[in-house]
Amino acid sequence: MPAISFEDVYKIYPDGNIALKGVSFQVEEGEIHGLLGENGAGKTTLMRILYGEIKPSSGAIRVFGKKMKFDGPWDAIRMGIGMVYQKFSLIGGFTVLENLSLSALPLGLQREDVLHRVEDIMEEIGMKIPLQEKVDLLPVGVRQRVEIIKALVRDAKILILDEPTSVLTPLEVKELFRVLKKLKEKGLTIIFITHKLREVKAITDRVTVLRKGRVIGTRVTNEVSELELARMMVGREVLFKLERRRAEPREEALVVKELWVRADNGLWAVKGVNLRLRYGEILGIAGVQGNGQKELIEAIVGIRKPERGSIKLKGRNLVGMDPSQIYKMGLAYIPDLRSTGLVMGMDLVGNLLLTRIDEFTIKSVVSWKGATSETKNIIDRFSIVADSVKKPIERLSGGNQQKFLLAREISRGPDIIVASEPTHGLDVGATEYIRKQLIDLRDSGKAVLLVSTDLDEIMQLSDRIAVMYEGKVVAEGPAENFTLDRLGLLMGGIVGG
Amino acid sequence: MEAEKYLQIMLEIAGSIVAGLLVAALILMLTGYDPWQGLYTMFIGGLSDPDYLFSRSSLIMMTGLAFAIPALASAFNIGGEGQMYVGGMVALVVSLLTKNAFLSILFGSLAGGGLGLLIGALRAYRQVNEVITAIMLNWIFYYLSIYLITAYYYNPIAPYRSLSVPEEAQLGTITLFNARLHVTFFISLALSLIAYFLVFYTKLGYQIRVSGLSQDSARYAGIKPERTFTYSMTIGGIFGGLSGALNVIAFTYYIDQLLTSMFGMGFDGIGVALMGRNNPIGIVLSSIFFSILLLGGQRMQIAMNIPKELTDALSGVIIIALAMPYAYRMLFSYLRVRRLMRVAK
Repeated sequence: MPAISFEDVYKIYPDGNIALKGVSFQVEEGEIHGLLGENGAGKTTLMRILYGEIKPSSGAIRVFGKKMKFDGPWDAIRMGIGMVYQKFSLIGGFTVLENLSLSALPLGLQREDVLHRVEDIMEEIGMKIPLQEKVDLLPVGVRQRVEIIKALVRDAKILILDEPTSVLTPLEVKELFRVLKKLKEKGLTIIFITHKLREVKAITDRVTVLRKGRVIGTRVTNEVSELELARMMVGREVLFKLERRRAEPREEALVVKELWVRADNGLWAVKGVNLRLRYGEILGIAGVQGNGQKELIEAIVGIRKPERGSIKLKGRNLVGMDPSQIYKMGLAYIPDLRSTGLVMGMDLVGNLLLTRIDEFTIKSVVSWKGATSETKNIIDRFSIVADSVKKPIERLSGGNQQKFLLAREISRGPDIIVASEPTHGLDVGATEYIRKQLIDLRDSGKAVLLVSTDLDEIMQLSDRIAVMYEGKVVAEGPAENFTLDRLGLLMGGIVGG
Repeated sequence: MEAEKYLQIMLEIAGSIVAGLLVAALILMLTGYDPWQGLYTMFIGGLSDPDYLFSRSSLIMMTGLAFAIPALASAFNIGGEGQMYVGGMVALVVSLLTKNAFLSILFGSLAGGGLGLLIGALRAYRQVNEVITAIMLNWIFYYLSIYLITAYYYNPIAPYRSLSVPEEAQLGTITLFNARLHVTFFISLALSLIAYFLVFYTKLGYQIRVSGLSQDSARYAGIKPERTFTYSMTIGGIFGGLSGALNVIAFTYYIDQLLTSMFGMGFDGIGVALMGRNNPIGIVLSSIFFSILLLGGQRMQIAMNIPKELTDALSGVIIIALAMPYAYRMLFSYLRVRRLMRVAK
């Protein structure tokens, strides 16, 4: 009897988006089952249905032969399903033990019972977590372990992990894989959601590939090559290598000296950073999320005020200037969140105006006619798929939103582009498109500052690389000096490897 | 796409009115009145005195804008009531001093704007909750106005009300289609169009809307959300002040001791703004509709001897039906999913 069997599951959202189109496959008991697919393939929707968070439009799911009712996550938890999301559901101000007790409350477990259980579990799988520490103070990797233990305390027989490695350093990934294998030996069934081929090969027994809401196939991992999986996932050959010629860097465009910036909580996020960006090159800033990259970038574009140091753009100090003034000096900024760079709830024309309003206003009066024709122009030039410029921007796919954001900024004609996670959450096609655009910008003599947590992206695009760790640049140099392994170590705070 | 959107809004409104009327009829039936006669009286009664109807709607049109423009910047201006009192009082005093209608209205609106600025700036720069400040100021200015009218500006001939606006400063009526209408309606209409232009055709209006939708996007674009918040509250306050000033200078020409001609109109503006989806043109329509219900309710009381509480409840039912299109949307989307399912299979 399979642990889980999906039977012709459909999910249609009220806005007409069909997320799942008749998904049927089985997960065997005691295996690590990979669920592979691009962003938007329906992986997360399917798992949220399994966890009882949303209801399918039709179809059924059997867990150990028993039909699911979908009345809410508690049904799923009672049937032995545990879920570890990308965004953790822990209370920051509580200690680890308090969090675990809280989640076990509906089971009627006392604090002491929870403590005993947790200690047994930790011993059995050889994983340690600090029980008396406040969750706020824990690194992301440890929080994830807390989530896993939380599921085990509730006696989960099936564990779902949604893109568990996206927030981890390479070392933490290794540790996670070790734990997962241990859990498998214990007889747990694990569903591992990812879009990374390397991880599928490394950890799963079997893998099911989803594409656009359909099951393309289920394979035994050992009998399938990475290339074949990639083809199943995207439906065409993937261009893993981008054509690029050698950089021809010219004079300095942006010089950051001894910059100190505080985070929202008042702690130092950037501690004396020095950077030099020249025209005609891409400088990639690598690092695990939350090591000061965000604050550094926000200080450069004027959203956050630095406490000390200087930022010189074309020789002028930017400290104290507004973002709109800085943009007028020829800098364009693509923020890491599309919900920041775009205004959800406005149409495409309204979004064009966000950073370009002064081009379309005479004496403070907006020319909608001019803005509309420029929007149409951009859509054509950058082949953005949108049937009307009056359409709310949130109705566009993630890829097209990002293309529009990039197009709006490029079309302003900047000579310095600051891009933060420019391809985060995009499918292969859109990723390739955006990366090509950035290389084209470099080739035409612009300066590009790229911040990314995606190492492949850093390696593929950067001419020079700087690695940030705990608010400092711990290594900087030409891209040739870095290998994936060295980057991984540096990002994990191991300098000198 | 565009046409479909407008069609959907029209359908929603029509459906809401029908649903509201059905419930209202049911209530009348259950309470022992003839529902047909009741609703008939309500609408015919509501339309029987166009001058009164339009002058009343101008008042809530302005308080509607006093709520709607801050709402676009995600500020909650519940202070339209107080801004209206202040606008009316200042206009009255200025008219007595200058005998000039324009100056009276100008200062009335600026006084309301000043109040909005105070509430907005306290929130934006000192984190003082705008709702609490506004509610307290509403009462402060309510009693201050009563004090001024009873102690200083009372009318010696009719002590229950204030001195009248000097005749030179009164704005009168014009005749249109055999109906004598106070100009306050036409001024309010023009001001609503200006508000529409401000919201949708100026840089400031755009910045206010962006800040209301996403503060992060605003900061990204170099817009200071604190500033747009304060501006939007100031503009809201100006419209609040205008409602009071226009009412005194162009319709009632005096303020009675308990402010009955204005009392509650600031709060009614909130409902009007919600019904009009915070769109100045929508607010013009919803303020007229709202006034029809208001006056029709009064007619029902007189003609059919229905208690005020019941007529208010009937207006309430119809307004709630109009203000909750969300329920219809849920129903539509449910039906849509069913249809798409069949297509997908």
